[in-house]
Amino acid sequence: MSPLERALVVSALLFGIGLAGALTRRNAILVLAGIELMLTAVNLNVIAFWRHGGQTASAAGPAFVLFVIAVAAAETAVGLALIIAWFRQRRTVQLDEADTLKG
Amino acid sequence: MDAQLAQYIPVLILLVLAGAVSGGMLLLAHWLGKAGRRTAAKDMAYECGMVPVGGGSTRLAVKFYLVAMLFILFDIEVVFLYPWAVVFRELLREAATANLIFWAMVSFLGVLFAGYLYAWRKGALDWHEPRRAGSPAAPNRSR
Amino acid sequence: MNNAAYIQLFKLAGPEMLIALAALAVLLVDLTLMRGAPVRARRVIAVLLTGVGGFAAALYLLQVPLRAVSWGGLWAVDPLTQLVKLGLVGLAVLTAVLSLEADYTDHVGEHFALLLLATVGLMVMAGAADLVLVFLGLELTGLSLYPLVALNKAGPRATEAALKYFFFGALAAAVTLFGFSFLYGLSGTTNLAGIAAALRGRGFDPLLALAVVFSLVGFGFKVAAVPFHLWAPDAYQGAPTPVAAFIASGSKLAGFFLLGRFVALALPESGDAGRAALFTPGWVPAVAVLALASMVLGNLAALAQRDLKRLLAYSAIAHAGYLLLAVLALNGAANRPAALAALVYYAGTYALAGLGAFAVAGHVERHAGAAALNHLTGLGRRAPWLAAGLAVFLLSLAGLPPLAGFPAKFYVFAAALNTPHAGAVSLGLVVVALLLSPVGFYYYLRVLKLAFVTESEKRPAGPDAPGNSPQGGENRFGVETAVALLAAAGVLGLGLFPQWLLGPLQAAVREAGG
Repeated sequence: MSPLERALVVSALLFGIGLAGALTRRNAILVLAGIELMLTAVNLNVIAFWRHGGQTASAAGPAFVLFVIAVAAAETAVGLALIIAWFRQRRTVQLDEADTLKG
Repeated sequence: MDAQLAQYIPVLILLVLAGAVSGGMLLLAHWLGKAGRRTAAKDMAYECGMVPVGGGSTRLAVKFYLVAMLFILFDIEVVFLYPWAVVFRELLREAATANLIFWAMVSFLGVLFAGYLYAWRKGALDWHEPRRAGSPAAPNRSR
Repeated sequence: MNNAAYIQLFKLAGPEMLIALAALAVLLVDLTLMRGAPVRARRVIAVLLTGVGGFAAALYLLQVPLRAVSWGGLWAVDPLTQLVKLGLVGLAVLTAVLSLEADYTDHVGEHFALLLLATVGLMVMAGAADLVLVFLGLELTGLSLYPLVALNKAGPRATEAALKYFFFGALAAAVTLFGFSFLYGLSGTTNLAGIAAALRGRGFDPLLALAVVFSLVGFGFKVAAVPFHLWAPDAYQGAPTPVAAFIASGSKLAGFFLLGRFVALALPESGDAGRAALFTPGWVPAVAVLALASMVLGNLAALAQRDLKRLLAYSAIAHAGYLLLAVLALNGAANRPAALAALVYYAGTYALAGLGAFAVAGHVERHAGAAALNHLTGLGRRAPWLAAGLAVFLLSLAGLPPLAGFPAKFYVFAAALNTPHAGAVSLGLVVVALLLSPVGFYYYLRVLKLAFVTESEKRPAGPDAPGNSPQGGENRFGVETAVALLAAAGVLGLGLFPQWLLGPLQAAVREAGG
């Protein structure tokens, strides 16, 4: 396997693990962790394409990754804030208890 | 099969692999998790060989998460200093771009500073809250 | 990048910066000068600041040279984006006015600052010409709207709605980004036009199809298309009503405009080699499936709703299906200008009607404690102006002729029927849409029947609504009535004279070059 393919395999694995975690976990914090893992897979993907795809002349790839990292942090912070707010009201972080809105 | 398509076979394989591994992990955990006998000693939390004090999973005060949140934000925003630092010398050489690189960073830090001021004024940085007993942020027991 | 380019960026992104500055100003003024002032006064000041920011941005949008080129390929400024941004600013200001009665929160500064930041995100979405900016716009909007939904001290339901909105949004964003990363890898650029150029003429490519389908997930979430709609009813119902109004109007308009531009700019149109070509770009079948599922599920689920905000959410999903027909019509260069104009016209008039309907829902909710459908009984007598507005909005959403919903549907269907290479698919979808129209009529008319016909002698005081205000209080000419009347006038005017909006739109599309 070429270096690019190896990196893509790792990133696809990361993405799959993150997605599986986000979809199967009931603990809100762990779902958040799964989503972060998916974003890490994206970063690895972009950097691999940039490094091994012959695109090192332009800085678009790394710039993209920097923005993804920063936005992922902001997303985590907002998610944590919402989880805390919910915890203060319901005393739980289990997502299957989020069931008062239906119809 | 033409060469162009064959080029992507590894990628398809890896997608299958990704599914198989993540599914396999869940299944393995499901099967293996039940194997073995559990004893009181095994279930005890490991604390450097000492007899542990308190439960294995104590609840942390919600305050920790608030601080963690602020830390993540201000920590990660520094990421934008790196590309700036990389081009900084080069752009500093000419008078016109020197101005540019200075004001670009000043405007970025200005926004960051506004956020810092906001967190400060809101009291998010105070560890000791004025009203401690019975405040919603205090460590709590379940229900 | 040199100095001149940087200054040009400041010029082109001026409106966004003005709005962002207004957000910071609202936050800091509320935190310093207005500290300790009564909540009502803080709200008035915040609305005034929002209005000033919006007005300045609108003036800037009208005055800046419209033919400016994109900045380093990142940022598109053309008559069309300016027009859409103008609409977005208008919707934001209307939402702010609606929030004048926002007694659901004490976080006044945060409320309006987040609203303004969400507007900046929507404007970035409208102007983005690069994957990085598309992503930033989507995320800025989302990250501002999630906490806004939670800003309701009424309790856990709002937080739960925000949590659902957040998790669906974050997941969709991650999947979309994964798609973007493959688009970048396959084309070697993050520029939308560059991607299209690099991808044009490729044969069927599983990886490309994967990248495109993954990329569409995030857009599907933003516009609440089935199967990415699950958050919408909960978020609309749990959110404070002005926020729900903004999500239903501004977020929808920007989301569809971005989706349209993304499809038109970044994804190559299918070739003319017949049936197989349809699947080459990958997005045509995906969008067709989304459109069909949204129309059917949205319309049918709306039938079963007992809450006005939930009903509007499902009707929004159904309208997302109709709008996706216009997106589908973007396939094929010849049809593109007409389809894009129809898309923006539909999304714009829908946004106006949706905002108005939510204004009415907000009024009902404030006086009855919830916006359940049976709280509407007797609205026609209690608040005739509002009830008349509600009738205009719902009949427009149903697509009745003198109102804006009719020309909107007409132009979208016309564009869909002209779609090249996908005639059979589009024809089928239009037939489905027409067959579902009576369903829409039925549930809209059911609401109006409650408001106008049903006698309200056994006036239902909801279980959670003990504080029914006296009749006199409800009759007062409040901000909701003002916003509703304004929106109703817009819907009626654009229905009678569609050329008022469609004319400038078509000119803008022509000038922007599709």
